[in-house]
Amino acid sequence: MKDSAKILVLVPCYNEEENIVATIERLKATCPGVDFLVINDCSTDSSPALLKNHGYPYLDLPINLGIGGGVQCGYQYARDNGYDVAVQMDGDGQHDPRYLFHVVDPVLQGQYDMCIGSRFIQKEGFQTSFMRRVGIRFLSGLIRLLCGKQVLDVTSGFRAANSRMIEYFSRHYASDYPEPEAILSASLSGFRVGEVPVVMQERQGGMSSISTFKSAYYMIKVSLALIIDRFSIRKVKEAAQ
Amino acid sequence: MTQQLQFVMLAGAVALLGLIFFFLKKGYMSVKYSLLWLGLSVLLVIFAACPYVVYVLRDILDIQMPVNLVFLLMFCFVLVVLLSLSIAISQLAEKCKRLAQTNALLEKRVRELEKQETNKQ
Repeated sequence: MKDSAKILVLVPCYNEEENIVATIERLKATCPGVDFLVINDCSTDSSPALLKNHGYPYLDLPINLGIGGGVQCGYQYARDNGYDVAVQMDGDGQHDPRYLFHVVDPVLQGQYDMCIGSRFIQKEGFQTSFMRRVGIRFLSGLIRLLCGKQVLDVTSGFRAANSRMIEYFSRHYASDYPEPEAILSASLSGFRVGEVPVVMQERQGGMSSISTFKSAYYMIKVSLALIIDRFSIRKVKEAAQ
Repeated sequence: MTQQLQFVMLAGAVALLGLIFFFLKKGYMSVKYSLLWLGLSVLLVIFAACPYVVYVLRDILDIQMPVNLVFLLMFCFVLVVLLSLSIAISQLAEKCKRLAQTNALLEKRVRELEKQETNKQ
């Protein structure tokens, strides 16, 4: 199965000139049989030139759509090109490609429709700051309250999706801070969501997309979006497991 | 209501109506978004031309000053216009996103086709 399945790694990239080449080279060295696609979200630094010079396959968004719109574009590409599994992996080197198949295997084996790489199951590696853990725990609790699904690392951007999930995400995907919302909308729509332990690293260089000032806005916006999703998506019974 | 106030209000309402027609004629505003504004300015013209309507409405709603009723109605109207604009912006943003995504997917296809062409030559 592993050899015949078409797997696409989606790497969103916004001003990642310091990390993107290292991330892709590590991915190519670790998982040689896997296709990848960088999604350049209208970067203003030298990232587009780097992608071009290295001959990496990439999508060039004409306007900055934010992580949600960019990743969704990647899912549309995966759908149009008949991929069986699409894996999201950040372009900043936080996600180690050695764990790629840890995330992909449960999806390939049909255990989950979407599998999330979680740093909080075995609590190894980079665990992020205390305040962020509090925020993540709150969102995790909120998601559990709204759909009954327990996911620990709700903001993890390291996740694999099967073809049905790809089709769904190519149509419905939140724009601004999509990770927690994707879990809720997928669960409510009857997809099986699960998580596996991975080890993450601190980002190698550059700046995270969520600054301290934006965290309050992030929490309010995501919480509200989750509550609204709960009311706007009709709950479908989870498929027989 | 004094004659002077009625005259000023009538002139203002007619000017607003004229301005909206001008925008429509010049194509600055589409008919879809002008409907609410046209409704508002026609209502204002009616209020200014025959204040009797306002007096009746005031008595029904038991508001002391007729002009307060006009303010209240205008405020509600502006609120509706603003809400409709927020909806319009959200829909435009969604359409813009779809367009950008389709464009990016097409751009990649074109880039690859061009590469194939140059390799063939």
